[in-house]
Amino acid sequence: MIEAVGLTKRFGQRTAVDDVSFTVRPGLVTGFLGPNGAGKSTTMRLITGLDRASAGTVTVNGKPYAEHRAPLREVGVLLDAKAVHTGRSARNHLLALAATHGIGRKRVDAVIGMAGLESVARQRVGNFSLGMGQRLGIAAALLGDPATLILDEPVNGLDPEGVIWVRNLVRHIASQGKTVFLSSHLMSEMALTADHIIVLGRGRIIADAPVSDILAQAKGAGAVRVRTPDIARLTGLLGEPGVVVTNEENVLEVSGITAAHIGELAAHAGIVLHELTPIASSLEDAYLALTQDDVEYRSTDEGSAA
Amino acid sequence: MSAIVASSPGHLSRLSFGGILRSEWIKLRSLRSTAWCYAIVIAVTIGLGALYSLNTQGQGLTADDIRGLAVGSSTLGVNFAQLVIAVLGALMITGEYGTGMIRSTLAAVPKRVPALIAKCLVFGVATFVVSAIALAGTAVASWLVLSNNGIHADFFDGRVLLPLLGAAGYLALIGVLSLALGAIIRSSAGGIAVALGLILVAPLILRILASVTRAVWPVNVSAFLPNSAGGLLWAYTSGPTAPAQSGYIVLTTLQGGLILGAWVIVAFVIAAILLKRRDA
Ligand SMILES: Nc1ncnc2c1ncn2[C@@H]1O[C@H](COP(=O)(O)OP(=O)(O)OP(=O)(O)O)[C@@H](O)[C@H]1O
Ligand SMILES: [Mg+2]
Repeated sequence: MIEAVGLTKRFGQRTAVDDVSFTVRPGLVTGFLGPNGAGKSTTMRLITGLDRASAGTVTVNGKPYAEHRAPLREVGVLLDAKAVHTGRSARNHLLALAATHGIGRKRVDAVIGMAGLESVARQRVGNFSLGMGQRLGIAAALLGDPATLILDEPVNGLDPEGVIWVRNLVRHIASQGKTVFLSSHLMSEMALTADHIIVLGRGRIIADAPVSDILAQAKGAGAVRVRTPDIARLTGLLGEPGVVVTNEENVLEVSGITAAHIGELAAHAGIVLHELTPIASSLEDAYLALTQDDVEYRSTDEGSAA
Repeated sequence: MSAIVASSPGHLSRLSFGGILRSEWIKLRSLRSTAWCYAIVIAVTIGLGALYSLNTQGQGLTADDIRGLAVGSSTLGVNFAQLVIAVLGALMITGEYGTGMIRSTLAAVPKRVPALIAKCLVFGVATFVVSAIALAGTAVASWLVLSNNGIHADFFDGRVLLPLLGAAGYLALIGVLSLALGAIIRSSAGGIAVALGLILVAPLILRILASVTRAVWPVNVSAFLPNSAGGLLWAYTSGPTAPAQSGYIVLTTLQGGLILGAWVIVAFVIAAILLKRRDA
């Protein structure tokens, strides 16, 4: 369980995280989405006490991270940049981290195995590829078999097999009643992995809702392509609030209204339609719409986050 | 990658200072640069000591001269070794900032200061042991060469043994001082520059100032710098000290050691406060 209240982080003039409140619940995979520079990595560093909050508080399982007697068993964290000395072997890196908590060699070798790093564990990390470094970071996060897992862009640089591994891993960990919080840029990946999604934009929460709600929202947001010989009259009929009509070389793209509704309106007015095609809106479109227009979601956000 | 969950980390595992010390020890010995720097320290100290002894002749030396020769030849390499140790000390922590490792370190030890203490202790003790080995090796080499030249020095005489031990302590303290400076500066280039600046450049500037202005104060200020104050720990002191020229400060071995200790403590406290306050 991660609970942030009024969490704020300023870097000089720039407010990276702006009065953010949210709860990440156990037993679920919570996805953390947002465009570049939204403040996802900063939020994750604030949770683990690596960055000092300018205002507000954040606790993990009821206490600030640093107050726990065995921090690595409370929280396992993968940070965005490689947090490993390039001159050290992967195994020695893990052994050094494990030693702080008296975690034994067996567990170190176990996480190396889980991450598929057996063959390179004794190589210097400086020679690792992006994906191998990522696997090492995830292995380090798993060392303490933590109650809360925080992963900043875990699939970044992973091959398809690695992506599926991470997906299964986090689902499995959440199913054990643990808390999983992972950031990503890919809405489609989150739709497969997460149960709940928090979207951040310019340091503020834009959406905080179950994945199913966001998917439903995405479906409703699809546009409809319409062709008709009577463009002027149809456009007039569609002049309701919330409906947007764009005309491109006599093909209309209408959003904010369903294809069925357009067809009914046209039939009532006796307008001939040559085409009426719903355009499937991708999840990424829905996500882009979300991050472009935060006002639409603010009410739901305040309902659930406060 | 087959199994998703394997052996648990054990239910007794928790953060402890002993664990942090062990962690820092693993870190120290798992970097090649550490082994290289320590090997250089040992090789150079022994090599310079033996070379110096080669060029000495036994005619007309007093017992005091011989003891001075024994200390002088054995510690000749310290002036060079301290530079290697200073660089290594700064790199101990700036290497972690440069690579991002510091975030892993501080995520595991979120109270932060225990990690810095452990780093200083482990590096200080390791450097002391390596330096003691280097000095013991030089003593043996010097003894062999000097005996060959007809000079019979007693290395177990306290007036010889203590400066040699002092040299090992000096190198360890210079190392920890550089580590603390590295923790304050955080970048490798900057940390090394400041550490070497304090050890090498500051005394030089003061010496130039002294000769240009013919003033006494640059000399007196210089006496309090880490290398000149700390240098008293491994200087050979013959019987009664020569009377000081008026106006010039003369420090005893103990005072010199305490002043170097004060440098280390002040730098450490500043480093600890900044470590606690700053974002990792
Ligand atoms: N140490 C720092 N000093 C100054 N500004 C910073 C620092 N860290 C982050 N920022 C700024 O804070 C903002 C949020 O950055 P952050 O890395 O948290 O975003 P993010 O959501 O993780 O982005 P991305 O998707 O690109 O990883 C950015 O504008 C960034 O420039
Ligand atoms: Mg980021």
